[in-house]
Amino acid sequence: MSEEKNVVSRRSVLKGAAIGGAALATGGALSAESASAATRLKGSTVKWTTRGGGATGDKIAKAVNDAFTKKTGAKVVAQQVNSDDFQNNFAQIMQGSPDDAFGWMAGYRSNHFGEMGLLADLTREINRLKSTLPTAAIQGATSPVTKKPYILPTTYYPWGLHYRKSMVKDIGMNPEKINNWDDFVKLMTLTQKKGLVGYSLGAKGGWEAMGTFDILNARVNGYKYHIDLLNGRAKWTDARTKETFKYFAQLIPFMNDNVMDISWDGMRDLLLQKKTGAMMMGSWFANDFKAKSQADYDDLWVVPFPEINPKFGVDTIDAPLDGISVAANGKNVTGGKALAEFWASPEGITEAVKAGDTNIYVSKSFDTSSYDAFNKQKLAVLASAKNIMFFLDRDARGDFAGPVVGPAIQNFIKKPSDINKILENVQAQWDALPKN
Amino acid sequence: MKTAATVKKNRSRRSLSKTDRFTLTAFVGIPTLLQIILLWVPAVVTIILSFTYWNGIRLKDIQWAGIQNYKNIFINNPLFYQALKNNAIWLAFFVVVATPLGIMLAYQIDRGIKGHAFYESIYYLPVVLSLAVIGIIWNFMLQPGGFVQGLMGRDIGNAISIYGNPKINTWVILGIASWRHIGYIMLLYLSGLKSVDPALKEAAAIDGATEWQIFRKIILPTMQPVNIIIVVITLIESLRAFDLVYIIYGSPTIFPLLNLLVFQNFAGQGISMKGAAYAVILLLLCIVPIITYLRITFKEDLK
Repeated sequence: MSEEKNVVSRRSVLKGAAIGGAALATGGALSAESASAATRLKGSTVKWTTRGGGATGDKIAKAVNDAFTKKTGAKVVAQQVNSDDFQNNFAQIMQGSPDDAFGWMAGYRSNHFGEMGLLADLTREINRLKSTLPTAAIQGATSPVTKKPYILPTTYYPWGLHYRKSMVKDIGMNPEKINNWDDFVKLMTLTQKKGLVGYSLGAKGGWEAMGTFDILNARVNGYKYHIDLLNGRAKWTDARTKETFKYFAQLIPFMNDNVMDISWDGMRDLLLQKKTGAMMMGSWFANDFKAKSQADYDDLWVVPFPEINPKFGVDTIDAPLDGISVAANGKNVTGGKALAEFWASPEGITEAVKAGDTNIYVSKSFDTSSYDAFNKQKLAVLASAKNIMFFLDRDARGDFAGPVVGPAIQNFIKKPSDINKILENVQAQWDALPKN
Repeated sequence: MKTAATVKKNRSRRSLSKTDRFTLTAFVGIPTLLQIILLWVPAVVTIILSFTYWNGIRLKDIQWAGIQNYKNIFINNPLFYQALKNNAIWLAFFVVVATPLGIMLAYQIDRGIKGHAFYESIYYLPVVLSLAVIGIIWNFMLQPGGFVQGLMGRDIGNAISIYGNPKINTWVILGIASWRHIGYIMLLYLSGLKSVDPALKEAAAIDGATEWQIFRKIILPTMQPVNIIIVVITLIESLRAFDLVYIIYGSPTIFPLLNLLVFQNFAGQGISMKGAAYAVILLLLCIVPIITYLRITFKEDLK
C-alpha cells in the first residue's frame, strides 16, 4: 500500500518535473528583450495603489502582490487610497509621481488619459493575455481613437433590476417572470398599493439616476442610438430621446418622495428593509445583504431590465468594466506593466479569489462552478446582453457627463414637465464643448 | 503734497539703520513675494485660462476660446442662475438676520444679563467646529435614516425630504450655517465691546439717551474698526460657501453654489476651463463690493 503510494507520488514528481522542464524550455524561447525585462524586474520595486476596498481590498492586494514577488523577485509597495479622491485628482496624480500600477476603469476614463499620454500602452500585455480574454473585453479596453489598450480588463458587474422574491410573490406575481414593461408596471403598481415604494431611486450624488436613463434609452432606442447620443452623433432634442424621457416620467409617480435625499446606499436600505418593490442598480451591494443575513441574501434577485421595444429586446446592459492600468510617468513602467499583467492573468485572479475577491472576472480562466444562485443569476444577466455599455459617466466625456447630464436628470426628476427646455439646454451645452 | 511726501520718505530712509532696512525688506518682501507667487500669479493665470479650452493635462492642447466659456455659462447653464440665486439668498440672510443677531447677542452678553457666561459658551461652541464637521453633524441628524428622522418615527422609506426638497432646503442650510456664523460674529463683536470705555455709555445714559440711542450713536461708531471686519467677513463667508453644502450633498448640483460649480468644472474628470470662468466670476463678485466698501469707509475716516 505504502509502496504504491510512493510510486504514485514519485510519478507525480516526475510529471511535475516534466512540466517544469517544458516551462523552462518556453522560458528559454522567450525573446531576449523580455528576458532582460525579467532580470531588470528582479530586485526592483513596483508601486501599487489599491483603490478603496478597506481591509478586504488590502488583503486581496497583498495576496496578489506577494505572489508576484514570489514569481518575479520584484518588491511591491502597496498603498490604499480613497477611491473618490483618487478619481477626482487622477490627472494631477498621474502628472506628479504616480504609483506604477493600480486598479482603474475602462471606457472614457482610461481612453482619455491614455490618449493624453498619462497611461502606458498595454498592447503587448493584452496580446499575451489574448487567449484568456473575451474579444468584447479587449475591445472595451481599447481606445477607439488610438486603437491601443490602456487598461487590462479584469472584472465587471451588471446593472440590473433588483427586487426581493418574497415581496414579488406577496403581490401575487412570479419573480422569475418580470420580462416586459407591462410586468414591470404591474409590479410597481401592486407594490405601491401596499403602501410601499414602487420604484426606488436616489439622485443625491448626481450619478445614480444615470443608470436608469442608460437602460431606458437602450431599451427604447437601442444600444447604437444611446452611444451615438453620448458622443454627439445624435441629438438630445431628438424625438427619440424625448421618447425615453416619457418612459422615465412614467416611473416618477412610483418613486420614493426623497429621491434627492438618498444615494445608492439609501436605495439599498430601502430594499433591505422591504420598503420597495424594485430598483435599478449595480449588483455590488449584494454583499451587504449577505452581511445582514443569509435569508435576506437568498431573497435577493436580479433580472435584466424589462423589454420595452421588441426590436431591441433586452440586448443591452450597463456593465462597467474595471481593470489594471499603468502610469506612463511611474518610476518603474516595466515593473508596473509586469504587475498589471500578473493581476489580469489566470494566476493573479486565482490569488485574488482565494483572498476573498467576490467580483466577476471577464477572464475565461475564471471558475464560476462554486457560484451561489444569486451570482449565477448575475452571470445569466450579463450573458443575456449582446451589447455592453460602461455606464453614462464612462461612455461620455468627463466635462459633459458629470457637469451637464447629471444635473439635467436631477432637474427632470424634480420637474418632469420642463423636459423640453432641459434637453435644449443639454444639447446647447454639448454644442458649446470644444471639439478636437 | 508731493514735496512733503518726498521729505518724509527721505527722512524715514535716513533714520533706518542697515539692519533695520534688512529686517524691513525681509518682513515686507518675503510675504509680498509669497503673496504674488501663491495668489496673484495663479489668479492671473486663471483669468487667462478662463478664455481658453483646456483639459488641464498637456499645455499644447490649450486652445483660444474667446468668451465662449462665459457665453456657455450665461446662456446655456441653468445651474449658474440657481447658484447665483442661492449665493444671493445666503448673503442677504447673513446680512439681514445672522450678523445682526450675532451683534445683538454680543451686546446683550456684554451688558451682563443673567447667565451671560452660559449663553456665551453655548453660542461660541459651534465656532470651534469647522463647517465640514458641522455638515457631518447635521447630515447625520436630518438625512433619511438620521437621528431627527428617527425621533419623528420615520425610517428611510417614509423619511421627510429635507435636503432634497427645494422648498425648504435653502432655509435649513442657512439655519445650519448661521448656527456657526452667529457665534463667530458674537465673539468678534464681544471682544470689541470689551474695549469700549464704559464711561461713554454712562455719560450718555446720564444725558437721558435710550438704550437704542446709546447703541446707535455711541457703540456703533466707536466700534467702526470691528464693523469693517464684520462686514467683510459676512460678505466673504456668504460668497465662499462651499464645504458645508459639499459635505451634506456630496454633489454640487442639488443645492448649487458658485464655489461648487468652480469645483465641479475644475476637478476630476469634469475639468474644463468653464471652471476657471466660474472662478473669475466669483472673484469679481467678491472683490468689487469689498474694495468699494473699504474705499468708502477709509475715505470717511480720512475726512
